[in-house]
Amino acid sequence: MDLQINGKLVQVDADPAMPLLWVLRDLLNMTGTKFGCGVAACGACTVRVDGQAVRACVTPASTLAGKRIQTIEALGTPGKPHALQQAWIAEQVPQCGYCQSGMLMAAAALLDKTPKPTDADIDAAMTNICRCGTYQRIRVAIKRAAGIPPGSAVKKRA
Amino acid sequence: MKRRTWLFSAAGATGALIVGWGLLPPRSRTGSGRLWPPIEGESALNGWIKVLTDGSVVLAMPRSEMGQGVFTALPMLVAEELDVPVSRIRIEQAGSDAIYGNVAMLLAGLPFHPLEAEQRPFKVEAGEWVVGKLARELGINATGGSSSVADAWTVLRTAAATARASLLGAASLQWRLPVAEFTVREGVISHPSGKSAHYGELARFAAATPPGKVTLKERKDWKVIGHSAPRRDIPAKVDGTALFGLDVRLPGMLYAAIRLCPMLGGAPGAMDIPAALAMPGVERCVRLPAYAGSTAGFAVVGKSWWQAQQAAQAMSVDWQQRPAGALDSRQIDLELEAALQTDVGFVFHEQGDTDQAETAAARRIEAVYRAPYLAHATLEPMNCTAQVRDGKVFLWVPTQVPQMGAAIAARVAGVAVEDVSVTVTLLGGGFGRRLEVDYIAQAVRVAMDCGGRPVQLIWSREEDSTHDFYRPMQVARLRASVDADGHINSLRIRSAGDAITPRWLERGLPQLVGPVDTPDKTTAEGLFDLPYGFPSQHMSHVATRKGVPVGFWRSVGHSHNAFFSESFIDELAHDTGRDPLSLRRDLLKDAPRHLAVLNLAADKAGWGRALPVGRARGIALHESFGSIVAQVAEVSLAGGQPRVHRVVCAIDCGTVVNPGIIAQQMESSVVFALTAALYGRVDIHAGVVQQKNFPDSLMVRLAQAPVVHTYLVESTRPPGGVGEPGVPPLAPAVANALFVLTGKRLRALPLTL
Repeated sequence: MDLQINGKLVQVDADPAMPLLWVLRDLLNMTGTKFGCGVAACGACTVRVDGQAVRACVTPASTLAGKRIQTIEALGTPGKPHALQQAWIAEQVPQCGYCQSGMLMAAAALLDKTPKPTDADIDAAMTNICRCGTYQRIRVAIKRAAGIPPGSAVKKRA
Repeated sequence: MKRRTWLFSAAGATGALIVGWGLLPPRSRTGSGRLWPPIEGESALNGWIKVLTDGSVVLAMPRSEMGQGVFTALPMLVAEELDVPVSRIRIEQAGSDAIYGNVAMLLAGLPFHPLEAEQRPFKVEAGEWVVGKLARELGINATGGSSSVADAWTVLRTAAATARASLLGAASLQWRLPVAEFTVREGVISHPSGKSAHYGELARFAAATPPGKVTLKERKDWKVIGHSAPRRDIPAKVDGTALFGLDVRLPGMLYAAIRLCPMLGGAPGAMDIPAALAMPGVERCVRLPAYAGSTAGFAVVGKSWWQAQQAAQAMSVDWQQRPAGALDSRQIDLELEAALQTDVGFVFHEQGDTDQAETAAARRIEAVYRAPYLAHATLEPMNCTAQVRDGKVFLWVPTQVPQMGAAIAARVAGVAVEDVSVTVTLLGGGFGRRLEVDYIAQAVRVAMDCGGRPVQLIWSREEDSTHDFYRPMQVARLRASVDADGHINSLRIRSAGDAITPRWLERGLPQLVGPVDTPDKTTAEGLFDLPYGFPSQHMSHVATRKGVPVGFWRSVGHSHNAFFSESFIDELAHDTGRDPLSLRRDLLKDAPRHLAVLNLAADKAGWGRALPVGRARGIALHESFGSIVAQVAEVSLAGGQPRVHRVVCAIDCGTVVNPGIIAQQMESSVVFALTAALYGRVDIHAGVVQQKNFPDSLMVRLAQAPVVHTYLVESTRPPGGVGEPGVPPLAPAVANALFVLTGKRLRALPLTL
C-alpha cells in the first residue's frame, strides 16, 4: 500500500488489517509514536491524519491511502521546532516523556482547529493519559504556544 | 517477635562479618579511573568522572531516568564541585562496580522511628554502620526509594571535588605555581600571571596526580545547587527522538508477544502451536516458565509485534489453575481482617503503656481501614530486547535494577554474569514495577531460541495489567483512647497484609534470602513512625503470604498507611471537637520540622478562610523517604463524584538541589495518588485480575487534574527524597475534605461515596 507520511510517499507491504502504529514502528522503524494500550484509550499513539488527531493503534493503515499522515518526527524540525515543542521545553512539561509524542500531536490538532482554545476546549481535546501527571503544565504550555498570556483564560472562543 | 529480639538476632547474624572485616574502614565510593574502559582522548580521574581533551566531562550514571529528573540532578552535583557548566557534562551508563551501588536505599530499610533516629542512639548508629558497610560491599545498583540524590549527595560531590583537586594539582606541577593562587571558572584554571588552561589540557596529567586534601564547597558558595536548571532529557522527549525500551531497533530484530496464564500462578497446558505457527509473519512459539515470581505462559515470535500478538491471541490454550487453588481478593480481604484479631504481628514501635491507657480511658475511638491491590500501569508496557549469541547475552531494557537483570539473564541463559551486558534505556515510567526482572528473564529465554538474532519482547497492556506485582492489599485497625477531658492518650495500630521485601529478594536476589522472613519495614512504614506525640503508642503488623505477586508501588507502605493514619487523626479531631489542623499542631510540639511543613501548607492554602459554597478543604501530613509533605486539598462534588480543584503542597526535603524538579514531582505525585485514591483497585476473582486495560481502570486525565501549588521549606539538612513523598498525603487530604462535604467517613480505598 502507498502511504503519505510526513510529506513523503512511502510504499509498505503490510497486512491490510495492520494498524498504522505498527506499520510506523515495526515496518518503518519510526519509533516516535508510542504503544500504550492498543484500544485507543491512552492516546500515546496519537498522530494526525489530514490534520485531525487519530489513534494509530486502532486505525488500519490500509484505510489511510491518499490521506496526509503526520507523526511527531515531522511536527517541527531541529532548526524550526513547532511552537508547541518550544512551549513544552519552556514549561518543562515532560517527565518520563513516554506520552508526550501523543500529547503534542493532540495539542497540534487542537491549535490548528482552535488557535485560541478555552480551558474547556483543552479539556475536551486532551484526553490522553499521562501517568507522570504533567497535565497542569500541558495546559499552560498549550496556552503559551497559542499566545494566550499566562494567568489569563480565554473565556469565549475568538 | 519483638523488635528487640529481631535487632539482637540481626546483630548476631552479622557478628561474624563484623569481626575482622568490621575493623576495615568502609569501602570508598570515589573509585579509581581504572573502572572505565580506556578510550583514546579521555582521561578517567576516578570511578565517576572522565575529562575529554576538549574539556568536557563524562559522568558515570548508575541510576535510571524514569521521569524523576535524575539525569539532571546528578550532573548538577558534579557541576557544582567541578566548576563546569551542567551543559558540559555528558552521561554514560556506569559499570557494575560496587561503588555505584545504592547505599542510601538500603539504609532507608532500617526500621527506626525517625524522631528517635534524630537523637542518634547507639542502636541507630550501629544499625546504620553495619548496613551501610554491607551495602557498600554488596553494591546493589538500583533506582528506587526516592534515594538517588540522597545517595549521590556526598559521593558525587566528593568525586567531583577530588577530580578538581587533581586538575589543580596538575596545573600547579606543570606551571610550578601554588594552587592557592589559581582561580577556576567554567572548567578553566587561570593564574594572575596570565597562565591558563582548560581541564582537557590538564586531564592526562591530572589522572596521575594525587588530589591531596579535598574539601567540599561551603553552602554560601554554591552556584548550581538550589537553582532550577532545565531538565536535560526534555528536548529529546518533545521531538520523538528519546529512546525508550520499546524504541530499540537492531539489525535482524524479531518481536515477541506473550500470553501468561490468566489465573495468577497457573500455567498453560495443551496448546495448538501448529495453528499459531501457520499465521502470517510468525516464526516460533516458546513456552515460558514462571520466571522471577511471574506466572507461566508462552511467547510468539514474529516479524512484527502486531503479527506476533495476533497469533498469541489466536492461540487455543488449555490454561491450568495454580495447584494451591484460585486466588480471590474478596477472600483475602476477609482473611486479613481475621488476622488482625488472632495475631499480634511484629511490634515495630511501642512507647508508654497502651494497655493501661486503654483501660483507664473514658472512651475509645476505633476504626478499620482498608486498601486494595493496586497496579503500577506505567505507560510504556513491560518490555526487554535480548540477544543471546556465542555464549554472551546482550540486553537493552528499561529497568530500575540493571545488575539484578544481568543476574537473572545469566541464570536463564546458563552463562556467567560477566558475559551479560545491559544497556539501560529511558524508562516510560517505573513507579516500582521496573524493580522486577520477570520480563527480562522471559526475553532471554525467547532469545535463546532465536538463533542469535535479537528479539524485542513486549507485553500487551492486558498482560501488563493482569500480571503486575501489585501493591499488597492491607487492612488496619486503629484505636485511640480518650480521657474525660478529651485528651487522646494512646494510639494502637495493628495492620495486616503481605510483606514485599522478602518476596522481592527471593525473586531477584536469592543469595540474600534467609531461612525466615525478617520483618519488612515497608509493611508498617507510615504507621509505626508517626510524628505525633501520643503518650502511649503500640504499632504492629501481621505479615501474611497470600500468593498474589506483590511489589513496590510508588511510596510503598506509605501509600496506604498514610491514608489509614491521617484519616484516623482527622477522625480523632472531629470526634473530640477539634479543628483537624489545630489538633495536629498540638500533637507536633516535639516535631518542629513537621509542624513547620504543616503550617506552611495551611497558611498558603488559607486554612480556615471561607471557600465558595460546596467546596471544602482537607489536610494531611506525612513523612516518607526522608522528606515531610503536607497537602491541603480543595474538593467539591460534581454529579455526586469528588472533584479536586487545587492541592497546596508544602515539602521539607532537606537541601534543595533543583526546585523545578521538586515542583514537577509534587505535581506528579498528586495526580498519580489521585488516580489511586478515586479509582485505583485490582480485583482478583477465580485467580483472574478483572481490570484488563485502561477502559477498566479509570484514570485522572487533564480535565480532572487539580492545580498543584508547591512550597519549599528552607533547610540545610542533606537532601531527602522527592519522587515519592508527595504521594502518601493526597488520599487522606481528599478523604478528609469529603468528610467535611458529606459527613461520610470513607475508610476504604478507592474513595467511594
